[in-house]
Amino acid sequence: RTLPVRGPQAPTLSELMRWYCLNTNTHGCRRIVVSRGRLRRLLWILLTLSAVGLILWQCAELLMNYYSASVSVTVQFQKLPFPAVTICNINPYKYSAMKEYLSELDKETKKALETFYGFSEGKSKVRRSVGDWNSTGSDFFQQIPLLKVEDFRTATELHSGQKRKIEGSVFHKDSSIVNSGDSNDIIGFQLCDANNSSECALYTFSSGVNAIQEWYKLHYMNIMAQIPLETKEKLSYSADDLLLTCFFDGLSCDKRHFTRFHHPLHGNCYTFNSGESGTILSTSTGGSEYGLQVVLYIDEADYNPFLVTSTGAKIIVHDQNEYPFIEDIGTEIETAAATSIGMHFTRSRKLSKPYSDCTETGADIPVENLYNKSYSLQICLHSCFQKAMVESCGCAQYAQPLPAGAEYCNYKKNPNWMYCYYRLHEKFVKEQLGCQQICKDACSFKEWALTTSIAQWPSTVSEDWMLRVLSWDKGQKLNKKLNKTDLASLMVFYKDLNERFISENPANTLVILLSNFGGQLGLWMSCSVVCVIEIVEVFFIDSLSIVLRRQWQRARKWWRGRQGKAPPAGPPGPQGHNNPVCIDEDLPTFTTALRLPLPQDSPLPRTPPPNYSTLRLEAAFTEQLPDTLELGQ
Amino acid sequence: MNLKKYLVRALHRLQKGPGYTYKELLVWYCDNTNTHGPKRIIKEGPKKKLIWFFLTLLFASLVFWQWGILINTYLSYNVTSSLSIGFKTMKFPAVTICNANPFKYSEVKPLLKELDRLIEAALERILQPGNASQDPSPPLDLQLWNQIPLVLIDEHDKDNPVILDIFETNQTAVGNGTARGSETSKKYKLAVKLCSHQGSDNCTYRNFSSAAQAVTEWYILQSTSILSRVPLHDRIRMGYQAEDMILACLYGAEPCNYKNFTQIYHPDHGNCYIFNWGMDEEALNSSNPGAEFGLKLILDISQQDYIPYLSSAAGARLMLHQQKSFPFLKDQGIYAMAGTETSIGVLVDELEQMGYPYSDCTMNGSDVPVRNLYSQYNTSYSIQACLRSCFQNHMVEICGCGHYMFPLPEGVNYCNNEDNPGWAYCYSSLRSSIKQRQICIDSCKETCNDTQYKMTISMADWPSEASEDWIFHILSYERDMSTNVTLDRNGIIKLNIYFQEYNYRTISESAATTIVWLLSSLGGQFGFWMGGSVLCLIEFGEIIIDSLWITVINVISWCKGLKQRRARARYPDAPPTVSELVEAHTNLGFQHEPSGAVPGAEALPPEPGTPPPNYDSLRVQPLDTLGPDSDAD
Repeated sequence: RTLPVRGPQAPTLSELMRWYCLNTNTHGCRRIVVSRGRLRRLLWILLTLSAVGLILWQCAELLMNYYSASVSVTVQFQKLPFPAVTICNINPYKYSAMKEYLSELDKETKKALETFYGFSEGKSKVRRSVGDWNSTGSDFFQQIPLLKVEDFRTATELHSGQKRKIEGSVFHKDSSIVNSGDSNDIIGFQLCDANNSSECALYTFSSGVNAIQEWYKLHYMNIMAQIPLETKEKLSYSADDLLLTCFFDGLSCDKRHFTRFHHPLHGNCYTFNSGESGTILSTSTGGSEYGLQVVLYIDEADYNPFLVTSTGAKIIVHDQNEYPFIEDIGTEIETAAATSIGMHFTRSRKLSKPYSDCTETGADIPVENLYNKSYSLQICLHSCFQKAMVESCGCAQYAQPLPAGAEYCNYKKNPNWMYCYYRLHEKFVKEQLGCQQICKDACSFKEWALTTSIAQWPSTVSEDWMLRVLSWDKGQKLNKKLNKTDLASLMVFYKDLNERFISENPANTLVILLSNFGGQLGLWMSCSVVCVIEIVEVFFIDSLSIVLRRQWQRARKWWRGRQGKAPPAGPPGPQGHNNPVCIDEDLPTFTTALRLPLPQDSPLPRTPPPNYSTLRLEAAFTEQLPDTLELGQ
Repeated sequence: MNLKKYLVRALHRLQKGPGYTYKELLVWYCDNTNTHGPKRIIKEGPKKKLIWFFLTLLFASLVFWQWGILINTYLSYNVTSSLSIGFKTMKFPAVTICNANPFKYSEVKPLLKELDRLIEAALERILQPGNASQDPSPPLDLQLWNQIPLVLIDEHDKDNPVILDIFETNQTAVGNGTARGSETSKKYKLAVKLCSHQGSDNCTYRNFSSAAQAVTEWYILQSTSILSRVPLHDRIRMGYQAEDMILACLYGAEPCNYKNFTQIYHPDHGNCYIFNWGMDEEALNSSNPGAEFGLKLILDISQQDYIPYLSSAAGARLMLHQQKSFPFLKDQGIYAMAGTETSIGVLVDELEQMGYPYSDCTMNGSDVPVRNLYSQYNTSYSIQACLRSCFQNHMVEICGCGHYMFPLPEGVNYCNNEDNPGWAYCYSSLRSSIKQRQICIDSCKETCNDTQYKMTISMADWPSEASEDWIFHILSYERDMSTNVTLDRNGIIKLNIYFQEYNYRTISESAATTIVWLLSSLGGQFGFWMGGSVLCLIEFGEIIIDSLWITVINVISWCKGLKQRRARARYPDAPPTVSELVEAHTNLGFQHEPSGAVPGAEALPPEPGTPPPNYDSLRVQPLDTLGPDSDAD
């Protein structure tokens, strides 16, 4: 019992270190102590240190790559939910019904056309309207007139024909390159800050077509903003107007399957399978027969000549929860043709924070969702712009939904809005409003990849009966047959029922990270968490206790010295590690133990009496070990 | 005897374990194992001992818990996907070209004459009820009509709609017709009457919101029944011939002609022609992107020869698909419009999935429980083929005849009105049965290698007005060997099919967790927490075997002791405590005696004082293994 080697009771730090190196489980450290020769020892120190460095580096790498994602693509064949299909006429409102609202504007536009380009629809018409000009000339159209820019300093005004100076900056809507060589052809309009007339911006266009359309649209939105929604819905097309036939999944459908949705720029749109009735239709067979087949009636004669210049319909395939951004991502449908749209469904899911910067529901985005639909990047940008518009211009832009408490801009109430809008829009495009920074991607989205192809429809031989029957369907007077350029056939179907699901998964879990740590630690030093605890134990707790003990002893000594009683307090006898016999050499074998140098100044007798009581083996085999018994005592 | 001796020796050898009692064994194990924790337990002081004991236990349980997670992860068979995009020399896709119209009207007119007269008369009565009094000169084939009649449903009274047969209740229809004005004509709807047997009351009315739809559906049902009786070679003869349809062909720089196309009879589209199907000859490779190196075709669809009531869309139907696969044009096909040049840029989108157990897909369809009827075309398995085969098999089972649109199983005929009067009713109910569809969806599996051809389609008018004359002239001359122009804009189609600059996008799956991954993760975990390895597990196993042996020995000695209990005295001393045992093992003088012990002891330096104890005697039995001499025998 005299040689209890228990724990690092080493009196000095170096002893402790030595003890640690000899007893630790990590490789390398032991080599340092055991090695003989300075060079070898140095080599081992370097190797051990570099191994430690490597471990730290690799583990840091592992930690940094912890939030990486791996992508997996799965294909699942199944019954697929049919997406919502929103169909709009390109022309938003019946021109005939809009006459009372737009006659002034149209007159103005026609006048501009004649003044600048010498265009007139028919002599008699023009002459009649010319007479009206002076009498009914509205001040509003004169405030933002079309101008012919001569040399960027003077411009001819449409009404008076007067030349006037242009103040303020010049903006080119179409291109940033100023075509100064032939400035006579440049046409544009000037927007001024109503409060401060020196603040003006001139918008010019390289082509009169764009200039007139843009100018028309500006005024058109102004007029439409003053019409209440119910009236607008009546002015636009009804479901019966738009849809002639409907066929879905081998069964007939009608307008009850469509939901009306009023789009500010496209009028009444109709959404098939909007899910509003609570059920979402699904298809269990791919192919054109089993999708949606509709014939649309496009009344080309009733088109607004200035607002829209193309004929047809626009459709968009979207999820029931998504807002259909017809004006942004719609597909156009030609008249007198059968458009077949094959869909392929892909669903994607990204991992949200901390893997990537996307949002699951949009709740964490500081922009209020003005649309009554689930979050998307597009919705966020539009809402953000609308918010900025209401804040800085005091009224809301017509093409986007109204925020609470705001109303649409019109010239009577907000004479300044056009200038304000253009300025704001420019800022928005140049990313100065911060909307692009605030808005984030949605984490999961559904995508329908469309393959669009067109065939002639109706074919020359079937045209005759087809148009007759469709006219009967429409319930029109029999003498008026439909024209095939007023019709468009549309087929939307799943090409296959394979749903591709692209999902991100965390590449690492905590378990794998720990495994990798373990692999690294084990590879370089055969270390484990136990080693780490050892290090903590030895380097912090034990070292600290040694240092503290030393300080305490010193303090006590000093105290006693001050008391005048200098006790001898000899150094503690060699015990524990100090005892050379008990030094843990490299595998302290019996032989090595015997080779140890004998302690010179040991007060003990030459042979350290082995604690034979520990050879408890005697207990079991007494009769065989008489000598050890004696020696032990 | 020999055997017994041998067994005894073996027993003896095994007895030379690290100890004779469990405690010894455990202490020995803790001291000598390579896992990090146990060594600490016996090396530290009593308090730390306890801490280390619990730490070791904690870590061991952590390791097992994490191992459970890892093995679970492995067994979930996750996959990761890798994406590669680029251009490489690839097999040019097989291109199937069909006419949207299945047969030449001039050829099938004799068969469909009655039907056409019927529908014309019916339309006459529907559209112009007043003027339909005069009877056609040859009497109508009302028997054909009555098999599947079209009826008019009067929905003036929503609750009891009146059903009017167009020909039979002639007077009523006319009487109502005169009464109704154009505003109420929408109240009439066409429906197809389907009865399980002719004249039976078990009838359903398939409603259509549009008369055009109803007429087309009715005509398809009737013509299907008529054409199904025509033998195949006659049907092929009535379709479009390759030399009439394919006017010019160029693949890369090499000319090709209609003979390079494989004819296939497609029930929807009549004769279809497949380029590069790879059935008889090697598939063609394309090693350059761009229209110059693709397939260029000029087709004639001769729109004048269309069947008026069967297909209302005019154009060519084409599809790109893999070699040796059946073209399902209704699903994946696209239209090409007459009078235009259609350019199709192709991107091959491949998805390579791992089979079972990673995902539930099939490599070649052999494990799908549906008889593949398309195998008669020597085509490979596809999900569309499976679904259609599944439907046809059900049809044959329930209705007793096969549907005309799908291949026939052996020994079954196609449905027609005469042999199977109720087939249309049966087919219609089967087609709308959701249960039947679900059965097919559940039994069919997708293929593991899913190849899609993503097409970028663009169109232009062709031929241009300036070149129109000579192009038509040459093409007519080449086809018909006459100077008369037999072609026109309504029939001619130009097609360019080529690879895009990046022609493939391959998503291939690989296992996320392999057995190597599992092993390294397991090792990492074990190493991380305890610094252990497989050898440690083996050590542990060894200890268990040893302890078993100790048990065996104890039992034997207990049995022996039972015999000699009275004869022998018990040991006087109490058995040693654990701490004594520990001390014994940690006593440096007596542990780790390697193979050099005895020679070392012999080579002892002459030492004054007490000679070293006779260690041999100490070793005699309990520490047997330490003695190299005893191991040697």
